[in-house]
Amino acid sequence: MTGCNEYKLNQGPEDGISAVKFSPSTAHFLLVSSWDCTVRLFDVGGNSMRLKYQHAAPVLDCAFYDPTHSWSGGLDAKLKTHDLNTDQDTIVGTHDAPIRCVEYCPEVNVMVTGSWDRSVRLWDPRTPCNAGTFTQPDKVYTLSVAGDRLIVGTAGRRVLVWDLRNMGYVQQRRESSLKYQTRCIRAFPNKQGYVLSSIEGRVAVEYLDPSQEVQKKKYAFKCHRLKEEGIENVYPVNAISFHSIHNTFATGGSDGFVNIWDPFNKKRLCQFHRYPTSIASLAFSNDGTMLAIASSYMFEKGDISHPEDAIFIRQVTDAETKPKST
Amino acid sequence: MAEGGDVDWELSKENIQPLRRGRDISALRQALSQREEGPTSAINQQKQMFESELRTYDGDDPLSVWDRYIKWTEQTFPQGGKEGNLATLLERAVTRFTDEKMYHNDPRYVELWIKFAENCPEPLDTYRYMQAQGIGVRQASFYIAWSEEYENQGSYQKADHVYQEAFNNLAEPHDRLLQFHRALQARVSRQVFLKLENESSDEEPKQPERVSLADLKHRGKKKAIAPVNRTGTAIKNITRGLQSSGAPVLSNAANRQLVVFDENKAEAAGPSEATLESWLAPPPSKAKENEQKPGKWCDMKMPQKTKFGHSVMAPPPPKPTFQPFVEETDQPPTMTPCKINPAVNSVLSARKPSKEETPLKRLQEHHQQHKEAEAGKLQERSMYCKELLLSGATEFCFEELRAEHSFKKLAQGSQEEGGEGCHASAAAAAAAAAI
Repeated sequence: MTGCNEYKLNQGPEDGISAVKFSPSTAHFLLVSSWDCTVRLFDVGGNSMRLKYQHAAPVLDCAFYDPTHSWSGGLDAKLKTHDLNTDQDTIVGTHDAPIRCVEYCPEVNVMVTGSWDRSVRLWDPRTPCNAGTFTQPDKVYTLSVAGDRLIVGTAGRRVLVWDLRNMGYVQQRRESSLKYQTRCIRAFPNKQGYVLSSIEGRVAVEYLDPSQEVQKKKYAFKCHRLKEEGIENVYPVNAISFHSIHNTFATGGSDGFVNIWDPFNKKRLCQFHRYPTSIASLAFSNDGTMLAIASSYMFEKGDISHPEDAIFIRQVTDAETKPKST
Repeated sequence: MAEGGDVDWELSKENIQPLRRGRDISALRQALSQREEGPTSAINQQKQMFESELRTYDGDDPLSVWDRYIKWTEQTFPQGGKEGNLATLLERAVTRFTDEKMYHNDPRYVELWIKFAENCPEPLDTYRYMQAQGIGVRQASFYIAWSEEYENQGSYQKADHVYQEAFNNLAEPHDRLLQFHRALQARVSRQVFLKLENESSDEEPKQPERVSLADLKHRGKKKAIAPVNRTGTAIKNITRGLQSSGAPVLSNAANRQLVVFDENKAEAAGPSEATLESWLAPPPSKAKENEQKPGKWCDMKMPQKTKFGHSVMAPPPPKPTFQPFVEETDQPPTMTPCKINPAVNSVLSARKPSKEETPLKRLQEHHQQHKEAEAGKLQERSMYCKELLLSGATEFCFEELRAEHSFKKLAQGSQEEGGEGCHASAAAAAAAAAI
C-alpha cells in the first residue's frame, strides 16, 4: 500500500496515538505521544526509535520546547519535561484534571497547556515553573498559538482568543461557526487566522482581525464525508496541520483520508490514499517536505476491534502543497 | 439558629426552590455551605462521576443512573438555575428512553416526565404527548399531575375527566388515585359553595386587586419571571396545600383565589354589565364606522385609510418635534450571547432570536429523526457515537470517553489485585497517581 514516497515507522506505540510533532529545527526527529503511557522520539530518516519515556497514565499531547527538550501531559494531569540528550525527566507542575494540549509559543517563550479542568496554564520553560493559570469557560479541547496570540477551543463550541503578552482579559470570545463539537484548531503560519474542524465533517477558515472587511472573508466547507448507498457518512475531522511556507493545510478525518487544502483559492490540492483507520494526528515538518500521519482508531464507535495503530511518513512535493497560481 | 450549620440555611431560605418531596436537610446544609468553590470541589467531582457513569454504564437498568443523577442535582442545587442544568438533564433523560417500552410505566421514568412537563412552558401539551406515546398511562402519578395542571388553569371539568381516564386505564396505585380524586372534588365543591355564598352579598371589587399570598403564574421559559400585572389571570387558581375537605378555609371573600364558572351567573352578568357604565365621553371619531352619507357607490373612490384612521387625502400632520416613546417590549428583544463587551470584541454579532422552540418540540423532532433513521430515510449518518458524547448535561470528547474507559480498567485492575478500588473518574489525577 505504501509507495516509495511513504513508509511506516518501526517500533511505533502499542496503543492509540494521541499526537505527532516534528522537531522545530529539523525534519529528522519526530515526537509521538500515545495512550500506551509513553512519549517516543523517532529518528525519521533512519526509521528507528531514539528513545522513549513513561508517564503514569496515557499521554494526550506533547511538544518540543527546543530541539533537545520535550514537554508532555496526559491523564495523570502532570506536566513533564524531558531532556532528550540526557534522558532525564522533570515534573514541572500539575493541572486539576487531565492535560489535553501542550504547545510552545516561541514569540513569548512560554509553554502553554490546556486541560479538562477548564483552565489554560502558562509555564516558563527556563526555570521551569508555573507562570499563571487562566480560567476558561469550559473544558479545553484544543489550542493553538498564532504569534503572541493563543486560540483556545473548549467544549460547548466556544473559541477564545488570548493575548499571551497580556493575559489580564480575553481578547476575543467567539462561538464556533460550526454547529458541532470542536475537534481541532490550528493557526495559520502567517498568524492572520485559524482553521477549526468539527466532529461532523466540516472545516471553517476564520480570521483574527475583527474588522468587517476581513471578517467577510471567513468561510466553512464540508469534507471527510463518504457516500454509501445514497447515505452520506459524516466523519469527525480530528487533525489539522499547516504547511509553514505555503500556508496550505492538511486535514485528517476518521474516514482515514488526508486532504490538502488551499485556503486562498478555496480548492482541494490533493487527497492521499485511504489509511487503515482514523487519522488521529498530522504534522508537517518545519521545512514542509514531510508529513507525519498518525493512523489510529480513536474510539469513535466505542471499544471495538480495529486496525493496528501506525505512523506513516510521507514525502510531499510542491505540487501537492503549493497553491496553484492563477 | 442554635448551631452554625443552621445559620446558612436560615439566611438563604429565599434561594431554595421548593421540591415536591421536600429536601434532605443535610444535603441542603452541605449544598449551601459549599458554594463558591473551584472546579475541583466535591460537587464538581460528583457531577463528573455521574456524567461518566451515564456513558460507561453497561448494566441492564440505565435509567437508574439518570434517576440518581437528577435527584442528586435537585438536592445539590437548591437555587435551581443554570449551573445545575436540571432542565437539560430532564430533557436528555426523557428523550433518551422514549423508545424503551420497558420504562414507559416505570414510576421513576414517569416521575422524570412529570418534572420535565413542569419545566415546559406548556405542560398540558407534554401530558397529551405522554398519553399518545403511552408513557405513564398506567401510573396514578401521571394522572394526578395532569389533573393538577388542568386545575391550575381553572378547567375543573377536564381535571375531573383526567381521573375518569385514569380509572378506565386501571392506573396504579388505585388508592392514591381515589384519594386525590376525592380531594379534587372537595376543593371544587367548596369553591362552588363559596361562590354561591358570595353572590348574596356581592361587593365585587371593580378594580382588580392584588391578592395577598397568591401564587403567580410564571411567564416565559424560566420560572423566575413573574408577571408585572399581578391580578386577575396572572394568579394561579389553586390552593394546593388544602386537600382534605375538613381543613379550614383560608381564603376569605375578598381574597378568594378560586373562581368556579357558573353558567347561570354568567348569563345574568353578561348583559347587565354593559348597561352599568355610561359613556363618560363621546367615542373617538376613529371608532365611527359609517361617517359617510349614503350615496352612489359606483365611481366612488375609496379614500385609503392608514392604520391610524386618517385618510390619506388629508394633509399629513407635521412631523412631531419630539421623539415618540416606544415601549422596549414592543420590539422582540434581540438575543445576545452573555457578557460580550462591544468595545473589546466586534467579531460576534448579536445572536438572532431563534425560532420558537419548546423542549417538547425538540423531543418530537428527535423522535421523528429516530424513526426516519430506522426507516433508512436519513440523508446523513454520523460516524461516531454521538449519543454518548452528548448525553448528560455536559458534552464529552472521544478522549474523555476513552479516558473513562481506561480509568475504569485501572480501577478494576487494582481491585483484582486486592487494593482499594478507587472510583473511575472521581479524581482522575488521584487514580492515575495511585499506580
